Amino acid sequence: MSLFSEVFVWWGGNTWGTRWYTWRHGKRVGEDSQGNVYYIQRKGIGPLGKPRRWVVYKSYAESSQIPPEWHGWMHHTVDTLPTDETYHPRPWQKPHRANMTGTPQAYRPAGSILASGKRAASDSDYEPWQPK
Amino acid sequence: MPKLNIDGTDYEFENGTPLIEACGQVGIEIPRFCYHERLSIAGNCRMCLIEVVGGPPKPQASCAMTVNDLRPGKDNAPPQIKTNSPMVQNARHGVMEFLLINHPLDCPICDQGGECDLQDQAMGYGIDSSRFIENKRAVEEKFLGPLVKTVMTRCIQCTRCVRFMTEVAGVEEMGAISRGEDMEIVGTIEKGLTSELSANIIDLCPVGALTSKPTAFHARSWEFRKTESIDVNDALGANIRVDARGNEVVRVLPRVNDAINEEWISDKTRYVVDGLKTQRLDKPYIRENGKLRPGSWDEALKLVAAKLKAAGGGRTGAIAGDLAGVEEMFALKDLFARLGSTNVDCRQDGARLDPSLGRASYLFSSGIAAIEDADALLIIGSNPRLEAPVLNARVRKRWLRGGFTVSVILENADLTYPVQYLGANAEGLAAAAVQAFAGKQKPMMIIGGSALARADGAAILAAAAKVALTAGVVKDGWNGFNVLHTAASRVGGLDIGFVPGAGGRDVAAMLNGGVDVLYLLGADEIDLSRTGKAFVVYQGTHGDAGAHRADVILPGAAYTEKFATYVNTEGRPQMTSRAVFPPGDAKEDWAILRALSAEAGQTLPYDNLSELRAALYVKFPHLAALGTVAAHGSLDALAHLGGAINREPLRATIADFYLTNPIARASRTMADCSRARLGAVEPAHATVQRLPTYQSVGSTG
Repeated sequence: MSLFSEVFVWWGGNTWGTRWYTWRHGKRVGEDSQGNVYYIQRKGIGPLGKPRRWVVYKSYAESSQIPPEWHGWMHHTVDTLPTDETYHPRPWQKPHRANMTGTPQAYRPAGSILASGKRAASDSDYEPWQPK
Repeated sequence: MPKLNIDGTDYEFENGTPLIEACGQVGIEIPRFCYHERLSIAGNCRMCLIEVVGGPPKPQASCAMTVNDLRPGKDNAPPQIKTNSPMVQNARHGVMEFLLINHPLDCPICDQGGECDLQDQAMGYGIDSSRFIENKRAVEEKFLGPLVKTVMTRCIQCTRCVRFMTEVAGVEEMGAISRGEDMEIVGTIEKGLTSELSANIIDLCPVGALTSKPTAFHARSWEFRKTESIDVNDALGANIRVDARGNEVVRVLPRVNDAINEEWISDKTRYVVDGLKTQRLDKPYIRENGKLRPGSWDEALKLVAAKLKAAGGGRTGAIAGDLAGVEEMFALKDLFARLGSTNVDCRQDGARLDPSLGRASYLFSSGIAAIEDADALLIIGSNPRLEAPVLNARVRKRWLRGGFTVSVILENADLTYPVQYLGANAEGLAAAAVQAFAGKQKPMMIIGGSALARADGAAILAAAAKVALTAGVVKDGWNGFNVLHTAASRVGGLDIGFVPGAGGRDVAAMLNGGVDVLYLLGADEIDLSRTGKAFVVYQGTHGDAGAHRADVILPGAAYTEKFATYVNTEGRPQMTSRAVFPPGDAKEDWAILRALSAEAGQTLPYDNLSELRAALYVKFPHLAALGTVAAHGSLDALAHLGGAINREPLRATIADFYLTNPIARASRTMADCSRARLGAVEPAHATVQRLPTYQSVGSTG
């Protein structure tokens, strides 16, 4: 993110406040496949009585892009960092994908004209006569 | 007039009123499953139990007991019944619990859900839980033809279907076998039901045991827009309710009209509507180099107008089909009159009916309900079972009461009641009538299309009228001279004089090269190969015979898609309502003719349907009185017509009951019915639902 957007917008990556807080208190612990960087409080404890954990998004600040392995760590479900784990995804597991609601890639149910651009067959349809 | 005390209030009732009806008349509803006011009383569901005060110490079935059956109390006080006492409530709880013992809990997947008597009454009169933990009974499905789907496990053995098929439809094809818990309703033949009224048992079934096969799992009862309308598949004008969802007509149900259809409709009326979705004309077509191509309304109307003007008045003609409404026929006749043509005809089958002889000469004068008063019937050239199944049920109802004879001149068909067959020759009809009506007080004649659509049709009709006047068929207070039409448009057309004027050509003359431009208003049942080089305009709804021959096609609206007046065979004007919109670019028929008149330079003086009707009612005021039959004059003119009847036997006109009009011929369900009637047991695409055979999971491993 550019310096300009860091100063004037809050929805992408760092803001100058976060950058200042992260520089003062944060210790970088890792980075996920999307490029989001995770930090933990260097000393002291946060509001939960444990060192605070936070993420600086690479681009748009959308929490659903945190992959499941980091989700567990972020929410204090586990204390082991995903980088310290040896977890091999099953072949049938799909790569994590953020919630696409509100974007052009959003899920469209069968029959939605936003998906195919074509209306699905309806009970109200009729068969027109075609001359031979 | 027996008196009765119901729940503490004294009332007076007609003799012979069943208690369940008596309670209904004073606004107390008694729950019931087997009782139906138009069927015989079975008394086997036990849901209508009430308490007779001072009577036997157990509750009584209120359907099987009349107001005359109760003894008065002390000091001749009126007998007392209670419909809401603890005894009655306990009885209802008990009956409902017994009924639900073997009724499956599949309301969420049952087509009857939402309009189910058992569901409603379990809510209203049942208890909130079940004590039953054993296995439920399961019953095998039955095959009842392409219209009625069975889920017999849901059956509560009310026997309404059995009684309907036996009593009203008159085919003994359903019955009950076994006893007690093993009782099953069965179709007695494996080929389905052979009645034209069979689908009424779907309405009668109080549970989801008999549901509609063509629309199975298709819609829920609360999703429909309900439009009250009129049926046009025969000339009875049965009152129907059109249920539509979106722009699709899903089903048709009967409305009660005791003067016409009571509460029955024929299978064709009910299931023809899937034809409204197939073979539809949805845009104008124009023939170019022998091929039809889609065109715009503008160019199609301009072309038709140019052809009409070029041909000149005397060389243009119009034929109205069987499904045309009065409004569009009026507009078409008006337009042709302005163009100088009197070549219009609504009798596409060539029936020799002449409206100038008075309305009495072509109406079912007695009215349909009066069949129940008649004591002898002579049917000339008609098979009412195929031409008007609901009317035929009325004749059968009269016959069941006894003291009624029916004789037929046409074919020795099974009309569901015994008839005296008099051969197919109409020559001796006068003698036959005199013989059949000797000593009868209210004799009745029905003259059908087979007798009228012949060269000597007028002579047969005149001979019938003559004998009617002498044999007591027409007298003070009774007019039993009845013409039974098969086309919904026919009486309306004759009423507004949609027949050739002075020097005009009729259908046969128009087809034999009498005109250069032929305008067909939904007329398909004519021999179009005889039109030769004439320029044919077809205005209609379906790609049937007319559309294949046409040079220009103007897409119109079907009966569920427009507000149109139809006059039934009794002469009763009734109006359809629009349930859905016409498909694609199709327009309401009168509007097409209005637009065409502007193109032809003879603008019709009405810009909307109300103005058209105003003009129509000025000329024909009786059409404004919807639902009532106007007085129809005398038969004298017809009786004096004379003419010779030839020896040729009468021939039946309806070859296939299920395929009589363009909508029916486009309907898959009607095609299935037709095939089933011809002997195909299981129709090709309407698969019979069968339960899968379950295997235990462990045995496959």
